[in-house]
Amino acid sequence: MAKLVAINNQKHRNLIIDISKAEQYGAELNLIPTVLSEFVSLAVQYPIVFTKNGETGEFVCAAMLGFESSENLFWQNGQWQGMYLPLQIQRQPFFIGESSEQSIEKTDENKDYVVCIDIESPMINEAELIETDSYNKLYTNEGKESDYLIQAKSTLGNLLQGEADNKAFITALKTMGLIQPLSLEIAFVNEQTTRLNGLYTINQDKLAALSGDKITSLHQSGLLQPIYTMIASLAQIYALIERKNKRIQSHT
Amino acid sequence: MNEQIDSHNLKPTKTVVIVGGGIAGWLTAGRISAHHKQNVNVILIESPSIPAVGVGEGTWPTMRSTLIALGISETDFIRECDASFKQGAKFAKWVDGKEDDFYYHPLVLPQGFSQGDLAGYWLNKEERDGRSFSDEVCFQEAICEKGLAPKTIRTEEYGAIANYAYHLDSGKFAVFLQKHCTEKLGVVHLLDDVNGVKTLENDDIGSVSTKENGDISGDLFVDCTGFSSLLLGKHFEVPFKSCSDVLFIDTALAVQVPYDHEYSPIASHTISTGQEAGWIWDIGLQHRRGVGYVYSSKHSSEEQAREVLAKYVGEKFDSLPVRKIPIVSGHREKFWQNNCVAVGLSAGFLEPLEASALVLVELSAQMISEQLPATREVMDVVAKRFNETFLYRWDKIIDFLKLHYILSTRTDNAFWTDNRNPDSIPESLKEMMQLWKYRSPADHDFTSNNEVFPAASYQYVLYGMGFKSDYSHSQHLLSDWKFAEQQFNKNNQMIKQASDALPTNRELLNKVRQYGFNEI
Repeated sequence: MAKLVAINNQKHRNLIIDISKAEQYGAELNLIPTVLSEFVSLAVQYPIVFTKNGETGEFVCAAMLGFESSENLFWQNGQWQGMYLPLQIQRQPFFIGESSEQSIEKTDENKDYVVCIDIESPMINEAELIETDSYNKLYTNEGKESDYLIQAKSTLGNLLQGEADNKAFITALKTMGLIQPLSLEIAFVNEQTTRLNGLYTINQDKLAALSGDKITSLHQSGLLQPIYTMIASLAQIYALIERKNKRIQSHT
Repeated sequence: MNEQIDSHNLKPTKTVVIVGGGIAGWLTAGRISAHHKQNVNVILIESPSIPAVGVGEGTWPTMRSTLIALGISETDFIRECDASFKQGAKFAKWVDGKEDDFYYHPLVLPQGFSQGDLAGYWLNKEERDGRSFSDEVCFQEAICEKGLAPKTIRTEEYGAIANYAYHLDSGKFAVFLQKHCTEKLGVVHLLDDVNGVKTLENDDIGSVSTKENGDISGDLFVDCTGFSSLLLGKHFEVPFKSCSDVLFIDTALAVQVPYDHEYSPIASHTISTGQEAGWIWDIGLQHRRGVGYVYSSKHSSEEQAREVLAKYVGEKFDSLPVRKIPIVSGHREKFWQNNCVAVGLSAGFLEPLEASALVLVELSAQMISEQLPATREVMDVVAKRFNETFLYRWDKIIDFLKLHYILSTRTDNAFWTDNRNPDSIPESLKEMMQLWKYRSPADHDFTSNNEVFPAASYQYVLYGMGFKSDYSHSQHLLSDWKFAEQQFNKNNQMIKQASDALPTNRELLNKVRQYGFNEI
């Protein structure tokens, strides 16, 4: 379990993060939450779909990594075999916390956010400093933020902005009725079949039937591009099936 | 609004006047408006001085398709009508009245029902390990016993993991429907008292007279005036056909019981508990329970009945106002006369044992709307068919309700023994009981397009109450034990899967209030 504490340049001055271990966080995920700003990078390899949050039932954007629960087909030999690492993985072991501990509301615009670290993360190494490429410190010896931390904070900023972007995206799609269930029955090379449930995608017929005004408004709010990126990314399902078939064959 | 009546036979049905609000009035208004849009004017006249009776807090799964037809969001409905999920009924103390006596009538069909009938196999199973029929053939009993909901917050609006209906606050539901019908569907709402009827030469109703708005004329009049049956009963004098010789319940005492605290479980089924002279309904809404004792006044005094109810409710009872509602079991001899059709209590009423009140309203509203006569010329044909359809349905419901009584072995009060008197059992039910002596109820026993209860429902009640169909002459029909074992195993798997996946009924209702369902 993650244990989050706010980072501090005294307490965490000597903390070393092994970024090569970040990928482990995704080893057993078949869906990973994503944000609009990374759609283009994701679409090169991953199908981008909607799924529903188990607690709230609300739509979330996610990249598909596998077909059944805890199957990540990009995880092989202890490594992530993808060209692009989703932000939710890149951000490890950092999280965004709110400075006022009382409030649970996330929409309050005047909220101060603090960067937290999961001090139970396997990425943390407090042992002797061994210089390798993957080892990074949070602070310089003078206590200033390191380039690595600055980069990490920028990733968190992208995710925070992404939450708002995603919400606007999904609200617009729901209002226009552009989300539809994605039902797929897939047969793998070993003749096993799987039926994908609980996934959703863009309704292309309804999209094609939208009035010019609505298309313009989607375009102006920057939502048209992610719509088409999502549609295009669906073709990656075939690549994912291919990955699964290879895995099946290598096991037999 | 006065129109010439010379060629009244060719007059198109353009205006429907509904007399009476309440759920019956608004559901009928809504169905007609949603189906015919602006091509038919729907005017609903509701008395500001007569309160709705407000019976019927339990629905059938049909309510889901009715709400869809009206264009209503399930999330809005659940939030505004204090509604909760209902997965059937639990009948306690109906067989022998002991503490552990109960069976279920769930809403999910028996496992594999479309491929084969498990009832005969279940009856002839070697290892019965004490489990009931409904538990061994249907996963819904187990999830009800665990207080689980029929779906999750990820399931789309009106979608189900286990088939379900609703419990609802009927007062709130009527207000909710009124708002939807007037704001979204264009129903004209007049708050006024009807104090007269003006007829045409052919005895049709030409208009109804109101206190404030003068005469309101129309082509079809729907009587939703409750027990008073103002148009069909009083004006047309269509006789009432009592069935108190079959069903003895004639009085209800009802209370609204608050929950102990905000985390109290909400049962996702109606609990119906047999008592000395009737039975008690217990319906869990989001914010309160609706509890009532329906009894036969020939078999119990009101004082005794209050004691029975008080004992069931517990110490809270003394502080709760008790409503007494007379129940006149039966229905009009016909429901559609000339250009007037009755929907709801004006058509008839039965004890709420299988939540038949609202479903009959839904079915009536649907048939009126879908078969709305294009002109007066065809109205008599539609009326004849409507009457045949609903007489059949009322008879079937009466049979099915009676079935719950005739298999009891209770002897603690003459109410139960009188109910088993053959003279009180309709011939049609006797005939079916004879058939089922040697085999289980099957779909071919119910061949009409207008069936209300499927064969599965009869199975749940028959075998739930310990009835045995004797297969000794027809063992050869039970030839596929492999199939049967597969289905029994599948049911056990589904119990496990559903138990792992489903939230409690209260958890889900809280989430619906907080987040709502998605449309897809």
